[in-house]
Amino acid sequence: MKSAFVILGLAAALALPGCKIIKNAPEGEGTAVIPDGEAGDDARIAALLDKTYEAELLPLIDRALPAITLRKALAEGLDAAGAAHGNRGSGEGAAWNFAVKGEGKVVEANLTSRARKAMVDVDGDGAADLTLQLGPVIKGTSLRDVAPFYRFGDFRDQIEFAKLARALNDRASAALQVPEGDLVGKTVTFSGTVDLKAATDPWLVTAVTLSVAP
Amino acid sequence: MILNRRLFVGSLTAAVSGILPTLSLAQGKGTIAIITPSHDNPFFKAEADGAAAKVAELGYEAMVLVHDDDANKQNELFDTVIAAGVKAIILDNAGADASVAAVQKAKDAGIPSFLIDREITATGVAVSQIVSNNYQGAQLGAEEFVRLMGEAGDYAELVGKESDTNAGIRSKGYADVISQYPDLKSVARQTANWSQTEAYTVMESMLQANPSIKGVISGNDTMAMGAWAALEAAGRTDVIVVGFDGSNDVRDSILKDGIKATVLQPAYAQAQMAVEQADKYLATGSTGLEEKQLMDCVLVNKDNAAKLETFALTA
Repeated sequence: MKSAFVILGLAAALALPGCKIIKNAPEGEGTAVIPDGEAGDDARIAALLDKTYEAELLPLIDRALPAITLRKALAEGLDAAGAAHGNRGSGEGAAWNFAVKGEGKVVEANLTSRARKAMVDVDGDGAADLTLQLGPVIKGTSLRDVAPFYRFGDFRDQIEFAKLARALNDRASAALQVPEGDLVGKTVTFSGTVDLKAATDPWLVTAVTLSVAP
Repeated sequence: MILNRRLFVGSLTAAVSGILPTLSLAQGKGTIAIITPSHDNPFFKAEADGAAAKVAELGYEAMVLVHDDDANKQNELFDTVIAAGVKAIILDNAGADASVAAVQKAKDAGIPSFLIDREITATGVAVSQIVSNNYQGAQLGAEEFVRLMGEAGDYAELVGKESDTNAGIRSKGYADVISQYPDLKSVARQTANWSQTEAYTVMESMLQANPSIKGVISGNDTMAMGAWAALEAAGRTDVIVVGFDGSNDVRDSILKDGIKATVLQPAYAQAQMAVEQADKYLATGSTGLEEKQLMDCVLVNKDNAAKLETFALTA
């Protein structure tokens, strides 16, 4: 009886030369096997976001520097400010990314574009100091690059890494509550991320939280 | 110029060897191979020139070779440079999957490879992969295209050569941005194989079939030049064209209100960086950097086109 099993097993092994046996996850366990390569990108990135977005990224942004403080730090030089408060994207000449928060008055807004924007005065001089990206289309990768735990070398290639940035942008812009009607003249409180290649670059802030004073 | 200098140094050393010890010493640092796609495309020429200039500056000899995007030819070139005993290889590879074996072969022979422009699908085989962030560059180009189009209208896309990884990456980067604007409608999408003449023909037929076209986004600058020529010939200079690479031809067109924008890949600087990393690795056994390094692309439009020269922006 035992030898019969051995022979059966041997026969099965011989019949499948070079085949890789992939175990199917039991149904209902929710641990479906994610395929390698590009086919599995969406599932892999969704899993990564589930694990890191609320647990790590949002707390990191919550610890943001106030906009005025960041501006003072930048006056001492971008690299010094970046080393103290920011995270550098991957590669030579990559931008420094900062988490930033603040409060200010909207001096100009474009809410008809798919890439909605509000220009905000945070120091009370009546001129815009930064632009808030309000989605649904978000430009750039600062949400990804602000986080030291998302590293290019951990991803298959630039496509998978780019998909992470897009997924983060989509997650943030979907959660953002932008009120109907004109924003100009209203006071907003925000937090988000900004990427800078030079200390004098205009600030394009990807908003993660936004509240508008009534 | 670079070639001349190399020959000059070589013949001088041969003629007066021993009299000029510094030159002999320089020769002693050995040869670095520079392998890229064909120099017919000025982008790859800039890459090879940048690398060769840095190789000479750091006291090595350069061996410049082209694989013509043929993985088999690349494999043979690797055999050649391994047999020649080069110290290091600077490579813009001929295929993300197909190149892994060649780079591994060099590694097994004790020769480190430093990749530029395109990445391969394995890590731990090359010492450095300095990857042009084509996806980010394509997003920049597409964002500018969307802005120029006023977020609406019919558009066409010219796609690069299928076998080149970057053709697909750029097309995906374009789609990633443009697909978020429902009023932008793709009416035609076709390859022109990176070729200017092919792009001219493809653009002609696209225009005939879709006279409503308001914009064309192209996978590289040579195809953008071909498309623009066809649009000019058809009296359709109202069509918005955006390219990719940052060539001098497109720069000149931008300055003459022809093509509207392109995206610069810093080819020259990137190749020089790879040689610097090779030099550091050969001297110390480490580059001090991560293997995979992304290098961002830069949008070029009327605001900064005048500063563009041979795939580099001057300050």
